[in-house]
Amino acid sequence: MSIFAISFFYRRFYFFLVLITLVLNLACESKKTSPPQNGFILVTDDTGRKIKVPQNPQRIMALAPSATEMLYAVAEENTIVGRTQNCDYPDQVKEKPVVNNYPMDYEKIVLLKPDLVFTVEGITSAEVAAKLQDLNIPVYFQKFEKVTDIFRGLRDIGRLLHREKAAQRVIDSLGTELAQLRINKASPKLRVLAITWHDPIFVFGQNTLFTDKLRYLGAENAVTEIFAQPYPALTREYILKLNPDVLLGGTPAEMETTFFQQYPELKKINAYRHKKIFAPTDNLMSRPGPRVVESIRELKSFLAL
Amino acid sequence: MKQAFIFLMVLFLVGLMAFWGLSIGSFKASYTDIMQALLHYNPDNQVHFAIVQLRLPRLLLALLVGGSLAFSGYLMQAMVNNALADPYILGTASGASLGAAMSIGGFILTSWGGLYLPPLFALAGAFLVTLLVIALGYRKGQIIPSQLLLAGIAVSSFLTALLGLFTFLSGSESALRSILFWSMGDFGRADWHLLPYPAAGLAIALGLFFFLQKELNILLLGAERAVTLGVPVARTRWLMLATVSVLTGFSVALAGSVGFVGLIIPHVTRGLLGLTHKLNLLLCALLGGLFMMGCDILSRLIYPPAGLPIGIITSFIGVPFFVYLLLKKSYKFN
Repeated sequence: MSIFAISFFYRRFYFFLVLITLVLNLACESKKTSPPQNGFILVTDDTGRKIKVPQNPQRIMALAPSATEMLYAVAEENTIVGRTQNCDYPDQVKEKPVVNNYPMDYEKIVLLKPDLVFTVEGITSAEVAAKLQDLNIPVYFQKFEKVTDIFRGLRDIGRLLHREKAAQRVIDSLGTELAQLRINKASPKLRVLAITWHDPIFVFGQNTLFTDKLRYLGAENAVTEIFAQPYPALTREYILKLNPDVLLGGTPAEMETTFFQQYPELKKINAYRHKKIFAPTDNLMSRPGPRVVESIRELKSFLAL
Repeated sequence: MKQAFIFLMVLFLVGLMAFWGLSIGSFKASYTDIMQALLHYNPDNQVHFAIVQLRLPRLLLALLVGGSLAFSGYLMQAMVNNALADPYILGTASGASLGAAMSIGGFILTSWGGLYLPPLFALAGAFLVTLLVIALGYRKGQIIPSQLLLAGIAVSSFLTALLGLFTFLSGSESALRSILFWSMGDFGRADWHLLPYPAAGLAIALGLFFFLQKELNILLLGAERAVTLGVPVARTRWLMLATVSVLTGFSVALAGSVGFVGLIIPHVTRGLLGLTHKLNLLLCALLGGLFMMGCDILSRLIYPPAGLPIGIITSFIGVPFFVYLLLKKSYKFN
């Protein structure tokens, strides 16, 4: 019976972890910046790290594709000095020099001399950030759990770069679009399952931005249980039990010849029986950036709302 | 008499473990539900469907893979006359992992005409590498055990490096985790139509070696004495090798390379029944299956719903037990 106890303990433990993260997050909300010293100010990023950043950053870049999109939305283009191999939006970014972020190309980034680097928690490791810090390149981590966190992130970038007005313009226009898309639908809510991999079956978990995007559409993530990993592996039985109304992961034809060919048992789910199977744009699903509203619009078209 | 009792006990435990396993999953299922699902299966009942179409094949796959690997390990240890041998010394596991990883990472086809290819590439990798190791390990039509061991180790190390390369180059985090599941084992893709292959392989192998058990036991005394006692050593070794290749190949292609079971279960078997008992082979397969089912159930209880990669559990449980066995019994390999 001790096994049950262990499993129970783990769930409790993760609940506790989530709680701590939430509390920490709230604590981070009130970001204090200290008065400038020698042209530098001390700021606290979304993960609670205290870093020294230039008062007037002139050479910036991002180590994650979504963060690059954020910079392009707020910063002046000529202050952006580079991109990673995965940054491909907006189109102009492709003209910027490439810095490999995995494995981190330290020489190249030193060569480009950025005075402030933005990234997203989970994309850049603490080890890489520490090493960049040693090279006098401050790394500012951002963290996004909700759609509104992205707006806050844009505002933070605006403040650090003294582009508050530009940031506010972007936030306002995104906010207006979002308000137009928003649907406060009464129950029953459509339950949507988004898969990222077939073997084993990995899905967008409850603690991902995807869950919050669906909330704006009066729909919900079919995965309601909170797992330790944001993209948990599920069994076929678990998905049968979830019985999602909508399945995201590929076009119906693709899914028919791959997913449902491999797991014919899952043809019993509502999404398959009612032909509610769609292929969301990968970059929109995975990048927490200013195109989040575009992503919600795409989801809305799938839900036919 | 005592040995027969042990054997029946293990058989009973296999049944009990299977029944327990059938009750665990996302849908709540009582023992009455399980009995009903088995005796009066109704495909429209979700609980019945989950028990018969998802849980039962998974348990059977664990049973067959555990049995095949333990049995292969037993043969392998007898063949190279070395207590440290396991079915993977032929490079089978690294070959299979490499084949699967290349397919998952998109370096070769991932699917073709609706067929999901990693298991097929794993099977191909397993057989190609095994053939290569055997080719390096024999001279003048004779298998040279020490040379075979060294060839296996060399080729495996090389392939492990290649696997590392493909893992590193694989694009997404999901691909990375998928490769991890493959190289540590997972019963998640179990399906009724996959089961006949390992089942037939294991049944034929058990039948065959039931008649060759005397030769097997004499081989433990060393090849030279076996020859003087009239055992056709070369032919027996080829048969053992072929059997191990096929059983291990099927196992790793279906479940990935689950570690440790092929090493420890043969030792447990000999610890229970003695070095040369006539029920040894059968018991070894049963114990392997029992152990594997138990590990799979445990992995799903600890980390629901999909479970941890199974190799982690087999090592966690297997190694301490193995050490206990070594310390407690005055047990010797030969």
